[in-house]
Amino acid sequence: MSKLSFRARALDAAKPLPIYRGKDMPDLNDCVSINRAVPQMPTGMEKEEESEHHLQRAISAQQVFREKKESMVIPVPEAESNVNYYNRLYKGEFKQPKQFIHIQPFNLDNEQPDYDMDSEDETLLNRLNRKMEIKPLQFEIMIDRLEKASSNQLVTLQEAKLLLNEDDYLIKAVYDYWVRKRKNCRGPSLIPQIKQEKRDGSTNNDPYVAFRRRTEKMQTRKNRKNDEASYEKMLKLRREFSRAITILEMIKRREKTKRELLHLTLEVVEKRYHLGDYGGEILNEVKINRSEKELYATPANLHNGNHHKVQECKTKVPSPVSEPEEENDPDGPCAFRRRAGCQYYAPRLDQVNHSFENSELAHLDKLRYRHCLTTLTVPRRCIGFARRRIGRGGRVIMDRISTEYDPVLKQIDPEMLNGFSSSSQTIDYSSNFSRTNASSKHCENRLSLSEILSNIRSCRLQCFQPRLLNVQDSDSEECTSRKPGQTVNNKRVSAASVALLNTSKNGISVTGGITEEQFQTHQQQLVQMQRQQLAQLQQKQQSQHSSQQTHPKAQGSSTSDCMSKTLDSASAHFAASAVVSAPVPSRSESAKEQNTGHNNINGVVQPSGTSKTLYSTNMALSSNPGISAVQLVRTVGHTTTNHLIPALCTSSPPTLPMNSSCLTNAVHLNNVSVVSPVNVHINTRTSAPSPTALKLATVAASMDRVPKVTPSSAISSIARENHEPERLGLNGIAETTVAMEVT
Amino acid sequence: MAEVGEIIEGCRLPVLRRNQDNEDEWPLAEILSVKDISGRKLFYVHYIDFNKRLDEWVTHERLDLKKIQFPKKEAKTPTKNGLPGSRPGSPEREVRKTLDLSLQPASAQASGKTLPIPVQITLRFNLPKEREAIPGGEPDQPLSSSSCLQPNHRSTKRKVEVVSPATPVPSETAPASVFPQPLLFLSSHLQNGSARRAVAAQPGRKRKSNCLGTDEDSQDSSDGIPSAPRMTGSLVSDRSHDDIVTRMKNIECIELGRHRLKPWYFSPYPQELTTLPVLYLCEFCLKYGRSLKCLQRHLTKCDLRHPPGNEIYRKGTISFFEIDGRKNKSYSQNLCLLAKCFLDHKTLYYDTDPFLFYVMTEYDCKGFHIVGYFSKEKESTEDYNVACILTLPPYQRRGYGKLLIEFSYELSKVEGKTGTPEKPLSDLGLLSYRSYWSQTILEILMGLKSESGERPQITINEISEITSIKKEDVISTLQYLNLINYYKGQYILTLSEDIVDGHERAMLKRLLRIDSKCLHFTPKDWSKRGKW
Repeated sequence: MSKLSFRARALDAAKPLPIYRGKDMPDLNDCVSINRAVPQMPTGMEKEEESEHHLQRAISAQQVFREKKESMVIPVPEAESNVNYYNRLYKGEFKQPKQFIHIQPFNLDNEQPDYDMDSEDETLLNRLNRKMEIKPLQFEIMIDRLEKASSNQLVTLQEAKLLLNEDDYLIKAVYDYWVRKRKNCRGPSLIPQIKQEKRDGSTNNDPYVAFRRRTEKMQTRKNRKNDEASYEKMLKLRREFSRAITILEMIKRREKTKRELLHLTLEVVEKRYHLGDYGGEILNEVKINRSEKELYATPANLHNGNHHKVQECKTKVPSPVSEPEEENDPDGPCAFRRRAGCQYYAPRLDQVNHSFENSELAHLDKLRYRHCLTTLTVPRRCIGFARRRIGRGGRVIMDRISTEYDPVLKQIDPEMLNGFSSSSQTIDYSSNFSRTNASSKHCENRLSLSEILSNIRSCRLQCFQPRLLNVQDSDSEECTSRKPGQTVNNKRVSAASVALLNTSKNGISVTGGITEEQFQTHQQQLVQMQRQQLAQLQQKQQSQHSSQQTHPKAQGSSTSDCMSKTLDSASAHFAASAVVSAPVPSRSESAKEQNTGHNNINGVVQPSGTSKTLYSTNMALSSNPGISAVQLVRTVGHTTTNHLIPALCTSSPPTLPMNSSCLTNAVHLNNVSVVSPVNVHINTRTSAPSPTALKLATVAASMDRVPKVTPSSAISSIARENHEPERLGLNGIAETTVAMEVT
Repeated sequence: MAEVGEIIEGCRLPVLRRNQDNEDEWPLAEILSVKDISGRKLFYVHYIDFNKRLDEWVTHERLDLKKIQFPKKEAKTPTKNGLPGSRPGSPEREVRKTLDLSLQPASAQASGKTLPIPVQITLRFNLPKEREAIPGGEPDQPLSSSSCLQPNHRSTKRKVEVVSPATPVPSETAPASVFPQPLLFLSSHLQNGSARRAVAAQPGRKRKSNCLGTDEDSQDSSDGIPSAPRMTGSLVSDRSHDDIVTRMKNIECIELGRHRLKPWYFSPYPQELTTLPVLYLCEFCLKYGRSLKCLQRHLTKCDLRHPPGNEIYRKGTISFFEIDGRKNKSYSQNLCLLAKCFLDHKTLYYDTDPFLFYVMTEYDCKGFHIVGYFSKEKESTEDYNVACILTLPPYQRRGYGKLLIEFSYELSKVEGKTGTPEKPLSDLGLLSYRSYWSQTILEILMGLKSESGERPQITINEISEITSIKKEDVISTLQYLNLINYYKGQYILTLSEDIVDGHERAMLKRLLRIDSKCLHFTPKDWSKRGKW
């Protein structure tokens, strides 16, 4: 057929199709065959079903008759209708509301029991009703609760009693009935429920499991960057949410406390009313007593989780093995999961309750659980009660607490305390130049304060004392240089003691200021010390006698870590002195001016301890008298290029001048450590050391656990870093604690 | 002549059946299951080339034992395994399937590589062997890029093919018996007319036979992590997972309000309820109960008198309620369970979250009674405007189905989209939709008036836009009605007399119509609301 030789154009959905009707219709016989050019559309049915007899018959019938004939209908299973009891079953009428029906989604779940009673239950109910009254709904609620409380295992009668708030006899009857019925029941529950999927995938092909959760696989995108970014965002979001939770919880607590307060006030008023205390005399009387008692009841507890670890570690008892159920149930109440193969210690109960013999020092005894008598190696002195914790990056932070006994404690000769320390245990986690001592030995008192000391001992007060470096002691130069330092310290201590004495009374910590003179002496002293240390090191490098060095672990370590150690002591010395006094910047005129007249300075000035020609000074001023916490942050220096020098923060804008072009003549020093005191709030911003410095620091830390000490060979410039002033006054912690970081 | 006791699953024989004209017929049927009730044997029969909904339990009196065909011996094992797999098939179709088989290895290979990671290691072992096994079958081509670049969704789709048929019913799997004789197994199945299952089996089997040495691997690949079906849509596209359980109706009878319904297909109601003679449903919340007493008790607690959703359409007694499958899970699930009784291809594998349910009700003094419903994906990637659609049997053949369809297109019009029902369509679905499309399109064509003597004309796109019927459906309807003709170098639409007459007669009968003015519906942009 030649007609078929040409191809009809494809059907274009956008092209108008003229419509021919009735008489207009052309004779289509010619073109019928071309219809094939339009591709046949699939019916959308499954092939096998498409060929089913009834459908084919129906389709052909439609095509022939253009109308459905009764006989050509696809047959379906017949269903009888007209349930004659319908009206009895569905009682009442429902009037169609004029408005469209709109449902509130929360109205849907009413608290009706899912369990529906059957006729068997009805028999029981009738039987029970002879003795007591029980309504069907009541029964259903009971069964419902029992069902929902038990999974594979039925709840016990005991549990049932807790679940059901009913008469014991009734519970027993219903419980027994339920257990029997449940045993005879074919299904997993008396409330028929769709089978649930199991997580392990064993039900993937179970035809009776329906409505599985759609677990979408995490799509790993090609664009990794995007993923990382969004991951970080998620983390951030999570953190923020958890913060919100914390805040809300705190608000909750606050509101609860408020309510409590209100109730108590109410109670007080009522009581007063009953007592006839209209003038408030009784109240005042009571109040005075109370306030006296409370004076030293204020515990210096820091709830920051970094509690100072007390040394009786030997007695640690492994915690009992957790119940397997607890471990297996991923949805259990506790979020914490024990790690397999990990031994956990049981909570220590023995620390909770200590009796003290000396009533005079009763409150000190309280303190000693967290705080201990602390001395610093350099300067050799006792700083009173403090507790040490490991801060960020392994820094050692001293939280000091002021007590009434500070003035006396400060004057204790640390050498005397040495006696204590001989039998002490070294704490491994701490940096190796420090030690916490449990003193059980007596020692001779060389001071008039022997009484107190013995009291302290009788209280078994712990004394923390940085370990002395033997090297330093053996060095003659060092000895000489220490003398002036000590004198200076002594002076300062007395000054500070006075201030601290006040502190304990009025809750405000005032640190005594020092003169410029003192400061400079101190500077020089430091520089000298460092030099000496360096000299020592060089000596040591030659002789390689590090065995008498401090920590046994450190014996095999390289010289670099020796340096770190020496430097550390220097820093510690420095930091300590810096804390005690509020040094005055030496060379900066403006700073000097600023400083004059500020007696309540808490801030600390940090000079870089490098050379005689020290140009840069910084000053920290705190105008807030309530602030007494000072944290010393050691800034990590870079080996080859820069030092990050001290930063100070004050409550006034950090506008202190700083010379950056200094310290050039300190080149001969191979290693310098820099200590920078910083007044830091809890949310201290991290001072970001350069990556190399960090690396070095970690190396150092890994070698002998001296936290972050970085040697530097050349100093070329000073990098400045300012910390935002943050007010500490808000923080209750600040009132009693002096935070200090020693490196 | 065989004894009744000899009849086993897989046998084929003529079974007495009364047709709708009340005539006795003896269509060929297959025995799917045998059960013994108090000494009396009952046989579940599927009439070949009839829809499954007519499958039923019969007594031996209705079986023509003279003409019984036993399944091949080899088929016994899989039969016991619950895998008689007898999708009905005519001989021609079987031939077609066998041809398909020869193409299978390539795809098997591809599928092997695209399995998700957990199985990956096993596949590494298998792959080389597979490649050897294919004589000259493009050794280099498939391995190279496809394996690593295949996106995930594709692999899961493929995986469905790989899973061997031995998996569905867990209890019976006996790898030893299935695996050494793939060919026998296959042929027996072909004889059985169950080619479909054999096809599905082929890839998995192929791998097994190829890796005799690594037995563990092969086991691993077959009964390892079973695959999950695709997560979009509401209908089963792949029936290879069908097992004997889902092939048989499991609910005897359902009482729903005034009506008693005889289910047509399997529905995953709690298994303990399948033994009941009647399952009682609350007419309004569709909750199922085991006895009339339970229902009675339930009704004292359930105060619903309408579907628990928002009414978005009301005209006369007809109302439509919109129900969010995520917000109202229990109703949605109950509705799906009921609907599954009458929809063969519906899947209840996944939750109802991504669907909206539009329930059509008829009001009387007792409340709003459910007549039918359709579900719709909140977001459809394939222009589906209907997922499942059902008129409950008591209301069938009274124009409600078309009303439901009309309503679904009315929603699409509001959305400003064209739509099409999700495939596959059932036989009744096809008839209903074709009828709706024909009437809707003819209505438009006949309504066109000639302007200034010109012949009226219209594009397919225009029809599609006006009606919201997807373009492809418009074309298929025009073809089905034989309206498209090629004349003088262009396509024309011809409306013959009998088409016009037939349409006019049909429209006279079609009294139930959707009034778009009564629709109060604002479409939501689900893509902006997170996932469903």
